[in-house]
Amino acid sequence: MAAGELKLSGWEVGEVRRLPGMDVKKIGKDLYEIFIGPQHPGSGHMRIIVRLDGDVMVEVDPDLGYVHRTMEKLAEGRSYIKVIPLMERMAILDACNITLPYVEAVEKLLGLEPPERARYLRVLLCEINRIASHLYGMGIFGVFLGHSTMYMWPFGDREVFVELAERLTGARLTHTYAIPGGVRRDVPEGFTDDLRKAIRYMRKRLEDYRKIFLDNPVIRARLEDVGVISRNLAIELGIVGPNLRASGVEYDVRLVEPYEAYDELDFEIPVFEEGDALARTWVRVEEIKQSLRILEQVADKLDKMPREGVMHDKFWAKAPKLYKDVYAKEGRVKLMPLFATLRVPKGKAFARAEAGRGEIVYYVESDGGMTPYRVRVVSPSFRNAIVFKYIAPGHRLMDLPAIYGSIDYFPPEADR
Amino acid sequence: MSGAITWLGEWLFWPPFFQLVIAPGLVAALVIVIFILWFERKAAARVQMRVGPYNVSPRLGGALQLIADLVRYSFQEFIMPFTVDRAAFVAAPLLLLLASMLPMAVIPVSPVLPYSYAWPNIMKYNLLLALALATLSPIFTVVAGWASNNKFSLIGAARESFMVTAYELIFVLALLSTAAPVHSYDLVKIVEAQSTWKLMALLNPPAFLAAFIATLLSTSGFPFEIPESEHEVVAGPFTEYSGLMYGVEMGAAYIKRYAMSVLMALAFFSGWKPLDPQPGAGVWSGYVAPLVVVLVKATIIMAVMSFLRAVYGRYRLDQALHLAWKILLPLALLGYAIGLVYGYLGVL
Repeated sequence: MAAGELKLSGWEVGEVRRLPGMDVKKIGKDLYEIFIGPQHPGSGHMRIIVRLDGDVMVEVDPDLGYVHRTMEKLAEGRSYIKVIPLMERMAILDACNITLPYVEAVEKLLGLEPPERARYLRVLLCEINRIASHLYGMGIFGVFLGHSTMYMWPFGDREVFVELAERLTGARLTHTYAIPGGVRRDVPEGFTDDLRKAIRYMRKRLEDYRKIFLDNPVIRARLEDVGVISRNLAIELGIVGPNLRASGVEYDVRLVEPYEAYDELDFEIPVFEEGDALARTWVRVEEIKQSLRILEQVADKLDKMPREGVMHDKFWAKAPKLYKDVYAKEGRVKLMPLFATLRVPKGKAFARAEAGRGEIVYYVESDGGMTPYRVRVVSPSFRNAIVFKYIAPGHRLMDLPAIYGSIDYFPPEADR
Repeated sequence: MSGAITWLGEWLFWPPFFQLVIAPGLVAALVIVIFILWFERKAAARVQMRVGPYNVSPRLGGALQLIADLVRYSFQEFIMPFTVDRAAFVAAPLLLLLASMLPMAVIPVSPVLPYSYAWPNIMKYNLLLALALATLSPIFTVVAGWASNNKFSLIGAARESFMVTAYELIFVLALLSTAAPVHSYDLVKIVEAQSTWKLMALLNPPAFLAAFIATLLSTSGFPFEIPESEHEVVAGPFTEYSGLMYGVEMGAAYIKRYAMSVLMALAFFSGWKPLDPQPGAGVWSGYVAPLVVVLVKATIIMAVMSFLRAVYGRYRLDQALHLAWKILLPLALLGYAIGLVYGYLGVL
């Protein structure tokens, strides 16, 4: 069959006509519809339906749900401790941040406050995760703009922090580190020295990134004044995280509602006014710098603190003697058996945290049983996804990767 | 028997055949393109804290990886979607490769031809002819995109046609500005007017810069890898291609870059200088040695172009066109004016 058998006369908008191998629908005069994703090198696990007038996008529709895993429903059938590794699958590279509010909510129901050392250890892994997550986003952003060096460098440097997380928790990505009552284990010997070395290294590398990527004339030309989210629009759409702060809104959960040890640490929230793709990239770079600052303070604090108390006394008292001996000697603790049958008192709890991509919110409801009655999650990427629809139209097609990459949108996190 | 060998040798070394098929044509082009691809991957890997190709032949630094890739492309299934325009779909990549190679037929690589049975003379207008032939190939990229009957291919083809209109004039003007000072369209004269260090690239930097960037524009080199920009249009005009045909199309861009680099090596970098073959020289000193010098110079130009991949991202289409029309075209005109001044004053 030849291809050109489509009759064009009298074709109404919306009418479907057949071509060999495809149905063709007229969507409008001089419009061209392309489906970017889900099988597309520039889409990730999602689809962006773009309508083009020439080279200019007139309508952009993010189509989510390709990696929806019914996590909230699955959580209702699992014991409280098993929900943590489940929820980590939203953003495995940001595992501690993404599950921390859940742990906090369960702690609220249990009426526990983690000990001081555990709070610092949580902050430690959260900031390591935040750096790794930002580096991942910047790497993907680099390759979206065709900058292969910016793809490889952050991915290579991220390995430093993944390695640190592995030494701390035993797992590269899905750490399941924060658990109700504390954390799973203490820092190993010599960890803080390596951490300080990593901090020095990363500061040097951020300068390299600036030279090759952020101040690169080609990249600046691609990013400046592209995908501008005004302050009002950002608030109206309810976007969160670095994207919000790049639009001049000073909002960070670590600032407005400090959790864990954040109120005892000295750090700044970088805010940029421009709201364009370049500002969003700069916010991430500055945030990495602040995270390094936090990590330095945490390392000092951990060195000064006595090596005890990764778990709340209520649970720690029930630990077998062998556990306590191993912890005293090596700083390792096995997960205590009591978590297998953990019962949480009846009630409702709500907690939030600042994950790498923005504010993550958990609502946990317990009916007094061994499994949660309801776990509700609102993830940052889900709240940011709407941006495509409002800021991409009016830009050229080649700006779509620049906008996508600068938002650091992560489909598995949005779809849950 | 010996008669047959003589006949074969004569036929093989008959310049129109030898130039187009062996060197500097297809065979040399393949070898150099494979080297450049390897260099590109190794150099980028070095910048990016990686090893690059290694496992296929550790002792050669992974040089055979590219051969392995070539073999893989050759044996991969060639899928033809049934919505494509079949004849054009198959013909486009092959003609693209052929058209990319065509300038080789007229580019002289030595001032003398050491064969009695060769063409009577090197053509007088070979620069013009080479430029004309070099502008043929983009049409087949557009044909490939159109014949694919795919939205991404079509957008890629449209981008390619924008790029063609942008770079062609610049490249032609920039190279013609080397013809003005010597009052001739003959590359032999242009090369002979230069010496080892008195290079046209140094005498007329605007023209060389314009030609260099125009080559990047025309062959999708970074920062202008726009028609095949993966993150919007998948593989641009080549989205529907697979297997050998895809390999051919990807190779064609490099072969075109190679052809343009050879042209630049001659016009801007004094071709076969420091060698100076005299009439009556033998095959080795009269033909092969100058050829090797030209190819080495062209390879260095290509290597510099390849290295840009590790430094730049890609421009947006409208920014690339802006650069071409508003900055490079005046630059090329300036280069041409400089060339005319040199010609008027008789500097060379």
